[in-house]
Amino acid sequence: MDMITVPKRNPRVLVVEDGITMRMFYRDVLEGAGFEVEEAVNGLEGVERAMTGSFDLLVVDINMPKMDGYQVIRTVREDPALWRVPVITISTEDKEQDALKAYDAGANFYMTKPVRPKDLEEMARLLTGTAIR
Amino acid sequence: MALVRRNVVATADDVPPDRDDWIADLTSGDASIRRRAARALSRMPDAVPVLCTHLANEPGLSVRSIILTGLIVHRSAAVVNGLLPLLASEDANLRNSAIEALQQMPDEVAPHVESMLAHPDSDVRIFAVDVLAALAHPMVPEWLRRVVTNDPHVNVCAAALDALAEAGEPDVIPALQGLAERFSDVAFIRFAVDAAIRRIRGR
Amino acid sequence: MTMPVAQTETVISDEEFAKFREFFYRKTGIMFDAQKKYFAGRRIIDRMDKLGCATFREYFATIRFEASGDEMQRLVNQMTVNETYFFREDYQLKALVAGILPELAAGRNDGRPIRLWSVPCSSGEEPYSLAIYILEHWPDADRHDIEILGSDIDSAILAEAATGVYGERSLQRLPPELIRRYFSRVKDRGYRISEDLRRSIDFSQGNVVDPQFMRRFRDVDVIFCRNMLIYFDDRSRRETIEAMYDCLSPGGYICLGHSESMSRISSLFQPRKHADSIVYQKPSR
Repeated sequence: MDMITVPKRNPRVLVVEDGITMRMFYRDVLEGAGFEVEEAVNGLEGVERAMTGSFDLLVVDINMPKMDGYQVIRTVREDPALWRVPVITISTEDKEQDALKAYDAGANFYMTKPVRPKDLEEMARLLTGTAIR
Repeated sequence: MALVRRNVVATADDVPPDRDDWIADLTSGDASIRRRAARALSRMPDAVPVLCTHLANEPGLSVRSIILTGLIVHRSAAVVNGLLPLLASEDANLRNSAIEALQQMPDEVAPHVESMLAHPDSDVRIFAVDVLAALAHPMVPEWLRRVVTNDPHVNVCAAALDALAEAGEPDVIPALQGLAERFSDVAFIRFAVDAAIRRIRGR
Repeated sequence: MTMPVAQTETVISDEEFAKFREFFYRKTGIMFDAQKKYFAGRRIIDRMDKLGCATFREYFATIRFEASGDEMQRLVNQMTVNETYFFREDYQLKALVAGILPELAAGRNDGRPIRLWSVPCSSGEEPYSLAIYILEHWPDADRHDIEILGSDIDSAILAEAATGVYGERSLQRLPPELIRRYFSRVKDRGYRISEDLRRSIDFSQGNVVDPQFMRRFRDVDVIFCRNMLIYFDDRSRRETIEAMYDCLSPGGYICLGHSESMSRISSLFQPRKHADSIVYQKPSR
């Protein structure tokens, strides 16, 4: 991955998370880091949005209605147009097997709630090759 | 001309099998047969226990969906008793379907809320809060208030906070401020409490 | 009666509208952008007046805590506009001929016709649009048998569909050469669709919530179910989607309306992208 490439437009991130205050929080952190943010409230909508938008990063909650995060990642990884998009998964679990499960499904990184703003921002920038301030 | 027309012919109804036949069909290897059986049984209120038992063992999403629709329609104490254990299921689809179904049965769920919110597993308590988040019961704000006041786990409180942003009234604001103090070191909680209070106040 | 913007502002604050937007979006998949505040606000205030709610907070509590969901449904009816005309939402017709039909045709070796079902078909614009669009834009239309079925609960509107006479408004999105090709002018009444097309659609009357009616439809390859489910209550919506699952062949498709989302209805179908649109597919196995 070319780390020094600066994207010509603001990088776009899709936040897939069913909790409203959580989505607002991620939006706050990611917009503050220069991202354009779009939201989806359940896993199935997340897949639809990912397929029709062009996103530089997906932030995906694990526990969601209609399609859980693992399934979202697997579906995205199977899509020829999407398989390279970096994915951060976020979970309430803090067990090693859940991190492994996430990486198995194809996640690039796994974080647990409550998420620290700085951690999310750093990982988002890292995965999209956006310069760190 | 490529467009052809064929009249849709009404097929004669099969001679209706009895209840035991349908129950037997529930274990067919053919999902379409299981769907037909589930549909028939979900019209019989006394088949609720059979359907609940089978649900936990049914691998097909399309069959599960029909069973759940039937259980939602019957919405009884027996149905709730059958669905509650699924909150602890490892199968995410099954768990989520149970949550969705329970959300549709406010009066039947109400007597169980206290024990659901006292479950030893914090994840199950989160799923219980998820049920409340879309439950149309007047006690919901009060139940959620108790969670943000008493639950020791930050993620359970976060889930309740989320639900209160929509369902809360101004009288819950002191409890939210208390939560922010309790988890003063968690940036997300501070943010979410502020957001929830704004939503509740309407400004 | 026009309502000045300022009045809408004072009755519903921006923060309150944000809360309403989020709730409505969560339940229906329809998102009001900020510009729609006036439009949506008017209709909310209308409902508030009818119910005698003095504040928005009171009205919101009604829709949030009403077990029956009746008021929410009335609100959805108010918020959505439903008119029918030829080539409505034609991005889906494009997905049909550019992606869905070629995929179905490639796997169809046994000579079975490709079966499309428009439900509700209303006064016929949708099934006739399917026919015209396929004949005009699918190069392989001549090499396959295509059945188009149209159903509606309303027998009067079905009679209109069978008659096939339409006003200018209904034809507004059709290019003139297609009107010339498929319609003939009827004095004082509008345009009548050709007899060939009228004869080629199989119209039937029935209710999608009636299992006996739905059992008549099997091996359907594509269902167009646009702008109907959004008006159903939760139970009818679930039952209809489950019945349609059985009507479809494995690998068959459902197309919903522009502002509808399968993600609020069911996880039985897989999203697929064809020609930049999302349509929903029944698993092949």
